[in-house]
Amino acid sequence: MIMASTSNMNSLKAKYTQAVKQNTVGTLSKVDPYGFERGNDFDYKAFENFESEYLAVLARRTIKWDKMMKNGTKRKVKPDRVVKRFCRKGIPERYRARVWMDVSGARKKMKKSQKNFYQTLLEQPNQDADFEEELTESIKTDLDRTFPDNIHFKNGIDSNKSKQKDLLNILTAFGRHSPTIGYCQGMNYIAALLLIVVKDPEQCFWLLCALIDDILPAYYTKSMIGLRAEMNVIDDLVREKFPEVQQKMDVYKVPWTLVASKWFVCLFVDVVPTEAWTVLRVWDCLFFEGSKVLIRAALCIIYNVKPAVLSCKGMPDVVQTFKDVSKNSAILDCHLFMQQCFIETNPLTRADLKKLREKNRKLIEEEDEKYSQKQRKSRPSR
Amino acid sequence: MASRAPQRPNNASPQGKICQFKLVLLGESAVGKSSLVLRFVKGQFHEYQESTIGAAFLTQTVCLQDTTVKFEIWDTAGQERYHSLAPMYYRGAQAAIVVYDITNQDTFARAKTWVKELQRQASPNIVIALAGNKSDLSNKRMVDHDEAAAYSDENGLLFMETSAKTAMHVNDIFLAIAEKLPKNDAGGTAANRPTSGVDITQGGGSNPQGGCCGRSQ
Repeated sequence: MIMASTSNMNSLKAKYTQAVKQNTVGTLSKVDPYGFERGNDFDYKAFENFESEYLAVLARRTIKWDKMMKNGTKRKVKPDRVVKRFCRKGIPERYRARVWMDVSGARKKMKKSQKNFYQTLLEQPNQDADFEEELTESIKTDLDRTFPDNIHFKNGIDSNKSKQKDLLNILTAFGRHSPTIGYCQGMNYIAALLLIVVKDPEQCFWLLCALIDDILPAYYTKSMIGLRAEMNVIDDLVREKFPEVQQKMDVYKVPWTLVASKWFVCLFVDVVPTEAWTVLRVWDCLFFEGSKVLIRAALCIIYNVKPAVLSCKGMPDVVQTFKDVSKNSAILDCHLFMQQCFIETNPLTRADLKKLREKNRKLIEEEDEKYSQKQRKSRPSR
Repeated sequence: MASRAPQRPNNASPQGKICQFKLVLLGESAVGKSSLVLRFVKGQFHEYQESTIGAAFLTQTVCLQDTTVKFEIWDTAGQERYHSLAPMYYRGAQAAIVVYDITNQDTFARAKTWVKELQRQASPNIVIALAGNKSDLSNKRMVDHDEAAAYSDENGLLFMETSAKTAMHVNDIFLAIAEKLPKNDAGGTAANRPTSGVDITQGGGSNPQGGCCGRSQ
């Protein structure tokens, strides 16, 4: 392994120290580099321990990426095996937006579309007035409720410091672009984190399109069929890989939907530590490799909390254990977590996952059919 | 905060039975379901409560004359499309609070459809309460109190106008539900839930909600 040069490491460290100069507790800021306020229960000590090691990793990776990207002069990243490996080990902040755009197909979509497509969507409401009203209403309802503790979102839509207006625009544009999906709660968190990281609203829009149109199963459709199937997939996989955990879930009657639907709908935003690195590291792989990594991340969380779950003495305990994932120090160590993702969840082939998803989707469609039959039967009698 | 979690309504020590009930909150997006729960369980209120994705789960205990009632509260996402997940949440529930926003007529209409669905699909003896939330905003009222009260009477629902913000009637509505729930072991819907009406000193485990009544955290 090539060690990072000391000067490069020092400059990275200096950058982070500078970022946290204001408003600090000890040496760490009360606000993280992405603008999230660190809560009162934030474990500064554990984070400092992790960060001091992770900065070295970051520095090392940055050198390698600099070389591959020819110090940023390289125009386009081709999604090949090397880039895949690089993405798994984390994309440095300075390249993240660009690489996401390239490897996800978002840039291709943007180039293929008519010129100023995003802008046009914003200027041209859907002709169906009811659709427009519902779309706008539902998005506006969530604006103030999206990251209310983040400095980029808490100032209200009229503040020019706030990204709320961009958030409204991206979600509205997406709803108009994909009227059968429209707006689904949860997209707000994804778009908001994209805005924090990628910054340019138009690119964020295209990344959101790439995710929802191409990369993810049908999580956000009206029936949320993809999400509901995914919950059964997790059930099946945990039964196979961590049977003792599934036994606990069965005994205490905790459906995976209760603990894990947010993981998938929000792509782990606000699930794994708010210190956004873990989420971003999952996304680095998600944009390149697709939604399988979400299953891996979910299984990896379960792997990490397994001992805690096994010692639970009731349903509330189990639910709390999964809630505490956001404070779990093992999961905070994003580098270790991502390594575990690709080791502890094996074997997990694409073909097997595809089969599992199809099987469960079919099961749920059948259930829905039975449910609506029951509805139809009971209606005339009323 | 002005109002902490529920007070024990009398000084009687909770010697009697301990009963556990599943309670689900349903209603349109942003009517204040999570805020009602947060007020009831933690005595807090956030002006900008993050939207609930999927569902959330909390517990809280209230004491009646001779019974301790432990609520397992399932708080759900309000947006229409999350409806497809709802049956899983209200399945086996012994109580439900259907919430609407008194400043928004549409949310009242939506509440009525939830009531219908519960009457048709949930356990037959489920105790349903209707909560007209945001009563502190009565200057923007769009849903008439008497109309909602009459609707509740017709449908056998408990009804209160609540405010998660000021804590008005929040504990009361949960207490009213606790009063109305059957406490005998064989009681009604309790039958299909092994945890119902059971002594939870076995099941409480490491949950730090020790003791009773408002010792939540």
